Amino acid sequence: MRKPSVARKLAVIVAPMAAAAIVVPLSIGSSHREAPNIMLDPSADNTDVYAWTAPDAPNAITVASDWIPGQVPANGPNFFRFDDRARYYINFDNTGDGVADIRYLFRFSTNVRNPDSFLYAGPGTQGFNDPGLNVIQRYSVTRERYKHGKLKSSHVVAKGLPVAPPNIGPKTFPNYDNFVDASIRHLSGGGKIFIGQRDDPFYVDLGATFDAINVREGTGNQGEGKDDFSGLSTSAVVIQLPEQKVTKNGKPVAGLDAKNAVVGVWSTTDRRRLQVTDASGSSSKARGRDSRFVQVSRLGNPLVNEVVIPLGKKDQFNRTTPDRDADLYGRYVLNPELAAILNALFNVGAPEHKRTDIVQALLQGIPDLNQHSGQNAGTPVDTLKLNLGVPPTNNPDRFGVIGGDNAGFPNGRRLEDDVVDIELQVIAGYLVGNKVPLGDGVDQNDKPFLTEFPYLAAPTSGFDSDPSNRTEPPHSPVPPGG
Amino acid sequence: MERHGRRSVPAPRDDETKWKRPGEARRERREMPRRTADHFLVTLLRWATPLAACVVLALVLARVNGGGHANPPLPEGPSLADLAREPLGRSTEALVESLQAAVRVNPGDAAGYAMLGNAYYQRARETGDPAYYTRSQGSFQEALRLDPKNVTATIGIGTLSLARHDFRAGLMYGERAARLTPDLVRPLTVISDAQVELGRYGEAARTLERMARLKPTLATYSRVSYYRELHGDLRSATGAMRLAVAAGGGSPENAAYVQALLGNLQFDRGHYAAAEHAYEEARAVDPSYLQAEAGLARLDAGRGRFDKAINRYRRVVERLPLPEYAIALAETEQAAGERPGARRDFGLVHAEVRLLQANGVNTDGDLALFEANHGDAARAVALGRGAWDAAPSVRSADALSWALYKDGRIRAAGRVSERAMKLGSRDPYFLYHAGTIAAGGGKDDLARRLLGRLLRESPRFSPLYAPRARTTLNGLRP
Repeated sequence: MRKPSVARKLAVIVAPMAAAAIVVPLSIGSSHREAPNIMLDPSADNTDVYAWTAPDAPNAITVASDWIPGQVPANGPNFFRFDDRARYYINFDNTGDGVADIRYLFRFSTNVRNPDSFLYAGPGTQGFNDPGLNVIQRYSVTRERYKHGKLKSSHVVAKGLPVAPPNIGPKTFPNYDNFVDASIRHLSGGGKIFIGQRDDPFYVDLGATFDAINVREGTGNQGEGKDDFSGLSTSAVVIQLPEQKVTKNGKPVAGLDAKNAVVGVWSTTDRRRLQVTDASGSSSKARGRDSRFVQVSRLGNPLVNEVVIPLGKKDQFNRTTPDRDADLYGRYVLNPELAAILNALFNVGAPEHKRTDIVQALLQGIPDLNQHSGQNAGTPVDTLKLNLGVPPTNNPDRFGVIGGDNAGFPNGRRLEDDVVDIELQVIAGYLVGNKVPLGDGVDQNDKPFLTEFPYLAAPTSGFDSDPSNRTEPPHSPVPPGG
Repeated sequence: MERHGRRSVPAPRDDETKWKRPGEARRERREMPRRTADHFLVTLLRWATPLAACVVLALVLARVNGGGHANPPLPEGPSLADLAREPLGRSTEALVESLQAAVRVNPGDAAGYAMLGNAYYQRARETGDPAYYTRSQGSFQEALRLDPKNVTATIGIGTLSLARHDFRAGLMYGERAARLTPDLVRPLTVISDAQVELGRYGEAARTLERMARLKPTLATYSRVSYYRELHGDLRSATGAMRLAVAAGGGSPENAAYVQALLGNLQFDRGHYAAAEHAYEEARAVDPSYLQAEAGLARLDAGRGRFDKAINRYRRVVERLPLPEYAIALAETEQAAGERPGARRDFGLVHAEVRLLQANGVNTDGDLALFEANHGDAARAVALGRGAWDAAPSVRSADALSWALYKDGRIRAAGRVSERAMKLGSRDPYFLYHAGTIAAGGGKDDLARRLLGRLLRESPRFSPLYAPRARTTLNGLRP
């Protein structure tokens, strides 16, 4: 039985008519085209962005950006694919104004060796050059430089690189690692890149049963949660660049106080806009005009669009750029609905208004930690702000900054940072003295991350796929903030 | 037959006695914590997107710190969160059960009813059973009674109206939803669909332009494709559908659906190998995808492989007893000379139509064509007029023109046929009807052009009507 992503399952519940199962026109002819009511867009929706300094690459910035979350490995590979017609970006803002200064653009192209075969790969396919591999998606990487929002230069830094295929199973790919190894490539001018299916690094418990809840006794942070993303995969772009490639002055970062130390990161996806009719209203000449692109998704800090932005504004959030965040969405951050819900549910005493602490933590950057320097210091923009001068630690605390670990979220975001617990506690008021030990009971990803590039864990194979939802073992209660 | 306004909502047909109609729901008193927890799940789900749901669900379902429950345990049965783990097919059923439970516990919460309405609608799409439409309508109405500004229910009832071919209601609800959330693109899909089906093509183009400017996704691409198709620009329609296919990554249903639509476009263009490829791609993604199976059946029939076609159509009809497929099956049997089978399956169409009508679906337009082809021409005209009055689209004009022709009113048929062809559609059935009507009215040049185009571009469009089109074309004065 097919089991789609957890996020999409929930979207069946929450988004109006979000996911159509079999779309059936209930008419006796096709008098009405029963058009798809699908507003989900997994191949465009940015699902997670991580930006951190890796311990094994301390002078580089490492970014992982995921699309198509929660892939059930057994569901087959045909649709875990980037969209050949879309444009995928990782954006860097090194001046703090919320406008991209450096952009890396990824474009994809699928090649099918034998168009008469609908098989992804035959049994025993050993690697990319094996004739048994029928479908291969390749990509190019273009580095764009901007000044004040205007494109100044554009260079292709990689071309024709292969996307690591989905891990269909050991019969089809007896040596899946061959693909992974062959997919780690170098960029002209410096840097490493990997694109392909990996284990979805997001971890959260969506719950199976209700237990009674009593927040005053401490809630959720002693484990026993089930990771609902356990066993599921995602399509990941992992890029590692020498830090001077993204800094304001094109030089390495001397230390955490350096003026060029902080870089904002976010990902976006553009789709082709279509012109329905031409200027005269006739539709017949429209086909030549389908060349402009529209931003359809963006993601900086985790869970902002989900938790903070109201339903009626989500489409707008997805098509706007961070430089307008203060104007457009500031009030939703200052008055987060989730705080009210937490209070109504559990009476945690979360302040519901004037949450300048959240604005600072997520949008402005924390002073003396990850605020941009210079005239844009403290401009509220939804980007992941990473201070490249803060050295990585070999003992990360999943609570990041509120756990006393300044190398963690919201100073960038590492794979192991428990953003669910962190954001719950921050919304409850951790930064303004209301420290409530909230959590979802899941502290880590089901699979350990790698200590080397590409850092995300290997994807579960389709054959082994049994999304059994790893359960976090119990442990002593953790005080708020870890 | 009523077309406008509300229909009386019949009670659910089966034994789902668990579900009480709105207003009759037992208002049970529950302990506060369970009610609170359910209420807040419903609350958060109402406006939260998946990950927000994750966050608060995660909290709500967090474990206590060992021992002592101050609150009584919750009832048995799947919780709203349980179904988050379920496969999609099962989850809709489980979702329905859980939401039914949720609205029983919180009968004053509009959000629960809105989501239940969506879940019923989803079941209708999965099963082909129009009885779910009725339940869906009831749930949405209750949601709106409790909260007239509920966006989910407004969009939901708009979409449901479209599915029932009440396009004016669809437009009204779509516009209302757009006023409630002016920055959300979803209501525009309801509006554009309604505008197309009401024949308001200029307005539809503007709505689609807006959608393409704000959020070009699969839902936009496939609609622009249809708009272009109606205007006879099949090449660009195919291009737009290819964008939808490329965008469809990540979900088997999305991918299969647009591949099948692409297959249909290629079929209409006479690109039969490409059509077959697209249908097979759809099945590679979802082996049980019935629209693709029906497409392959049509290809078989076009190749004269009637037995294969009939077997395929039978498989489809068994699982999805919809008039569209029953008609295709019956017409193929008729073309193959299998009279008893054809008769039986035409009878099946009638039964299915009655079921649709009983659940509030306006079948005028499609029934007009069916009656014109296989039933009573006068009745067909009445139905066609009704369809045109309710929704003055090129499609309604096509149905009415054909009905008039079959009823012997050639001149009237000719006038209405002009309306049907005003956009320049190259739908094979439009061409067949308009060309035949032109021939009947002595407009040989026009007939030659239309039927010539039809048989050049889409020669295998129907095993029953292609030969008739050819006969008519050959019978024209040279």
